[in-house]
Amino acid sequence: MVTKTEEAELNRLESQVEHGGGGAWEYLCLIRKLKIRRSDKVLKHGLSILNDPKKRSSLGDEEWTLYEQVAVAAMDCHSLGVAQDCIKVLSKKFPDSKRVGRLEAMLLEAKGCFEEAENAYLSLLEDNPLDQVIHKRRVAIAKAQGDILKAIEWLDKYLEIFMADHDAWRELAEIYISLQMYKQAAFCYEELILAQPTFPLYHLAYADVLYTLGGLENLQTAKKYYASTIDLTGGKNTRALYGICLCTYAIAQLAKGRNKEDKESGELQSLAAAALEKEYKSRAPSKLPLLNSTLKNLRL
Amino acid sequence: MAEDLVLDTAIRDWVLIPLSVVMVLIGILRYFVSKLMRSFQAPDPKIVKEGQVIIRARNLRSAANFIPARAFRARRIYFSNEENGLLHVPKGQTQNAQAQMFSDPNMAMDMMKKNLSMIIPQTLTFAWVNFFFSGFVAAKIPFPLTQRFRSMLQNGIDLSTVDVSYVSSRSWYFLNLFGLRGLFSLILGEENAMDDTQRMMQMGGFGFDPTKSLSAEKDGLDIVQHEWVLPKFEQRAEAVLRKLVK
Repeated sequence: MVTKTEEAELNRLESQVEHGGGGAWEYLCLIRKLKIRRSDKVLKHGLSILNDPKKRSSLGDEEWTLYEQVAVAAMDCHSLGVAQDCIKVLSKKFPDSKRVGRLEAMLLEAKGCFEEAENAYLSLLEDNPLDQVIHKRRVAIAKAQGDILKAIEWLDKYLEIFMADHDAWRELAEIYISLQMYKQAAFCYEELILAQPTFPLYHLAYADVLYTLGGLENLQTAKKYYASTIDLTGGKNTRALYGICLCTYAIAQLAKGRNKEDKESGELQSLAAAALEKEYKSRAPSKLPLLNSTLKNLRL
Repeated sequence: MAEDLVLDTAIRDWVLIPLSVVMVLIGILRYFVSKLMRSFQAPDPKIVKEGQVIIRARNLRSAANFIPARAFRARRIYFSNEENGLLHVPKGQTQNAQAQMFSDPNMAMDMMKKNLSMIIPQTLTFAWVNFFFSGFVAAKIPFPLTQRFRSMLQNGIDLSTVDVSYVSSRSWYFLNLFGLRGLFSLILGEENAMDDTQRMMQMGGFGFDPTKSLSAEKDGLDIVQHEWVLPKFEQRAEAVLRKLVK
């Protein structure tokens, strides 16, 4: 997770580098440390260092780290030629390295030779069956080939061992949602909430899934999670505000005809509607009538 | 002892400085030797998995109140049921680490390598210091100290009348042995610095039993009272929105 100060520092460095103020290496180091994906910037500034022999040699041993970073960024930007050059330099320096082998397999994958890449990954896994990156790459291959079920299978296998890896859980949740398997997705989001209980976006996604599942109990739970999202974001999340309104409406529909006494008391929904109105007034006044008619339809 | 002892400058040139330099050099040499002898050990999938199970169970325990009761109960059963729960350790399988060590010669070998790289140079330097430099008063610290420090600073000199602020050569050796960590982290890089105190602690930590932490985690999970906090969040959200709308 990237904190606000880290992000501010990163953006400051980025604008400094963009305007020719130097500090490219520090910028690249920070990106690597925070594991941020800004491949175009990495490619541009990394290459400018690598193409300048004086700057390159001043890095010492870090030179090779930079080659690796630029190679991965180049593959992400589909500059396969650059990636190939970087990997060639690396494999010359470290002929038997597993890490370079991984890069070569990734290059195969980027070129679209999925069979060869898969085989390369398999042979790498034989040496080190617990390489997390390679397991994840295999999931990515299955996904790229459109074989979602296989991707789920690999992810399952991966999570069997590395069950505390919440990024993998998130990936799995998103895949399940894309397949409309909401119950499974709900489980994954529960797992994510357990791992980071105060991260509002997981609460929001969980609520979305529960709302989609429907049913009185799920809707009531969904409303609670929308409420927690509002609390955790300080009421800034428009989607959560809408979620409250929609849940209230859906609950009222379902509870119609049943006993009225457990009808939700409280003014959360009217407050949410008011907050939405205020938000639209300040940000998008032209869309205010649209909002008003929507809210009217929801009888709020 | 009213008047101060005068220390020969030759002691500084031939005892104090050489001793420190030798200690630093030995530290660096040992770093490289242990780097040479270090063997890459593929981690055991079972141990990795146990570590991950513990992290996940701990997450469940600490954040239990954030998920609905049903989800929590399902997970608790998954973790701690008596048949095939992840945290449940069958009785027969509690194999202690000692036995495991003897069954796996590689592990014993690794231990020995670690031990050798630590004990041999230490014994040799101690013998060397003892042989050449025993009985010197090597330095004087510029502030007075109480009698209690005598055993720390004047190891090897059995004179109760010498002022405590004088440091004997053997004590100087010990001070170096334990105090050079900062210097090593400068020379060898932050993560490589490891002084002897740490090494010793590492030794003591050996024999750690992962199954114990599994069952401890299970006990912790068993006594967790689930109390869903989300209903409270509704009121809190109301308060937040009220403030926002106002």
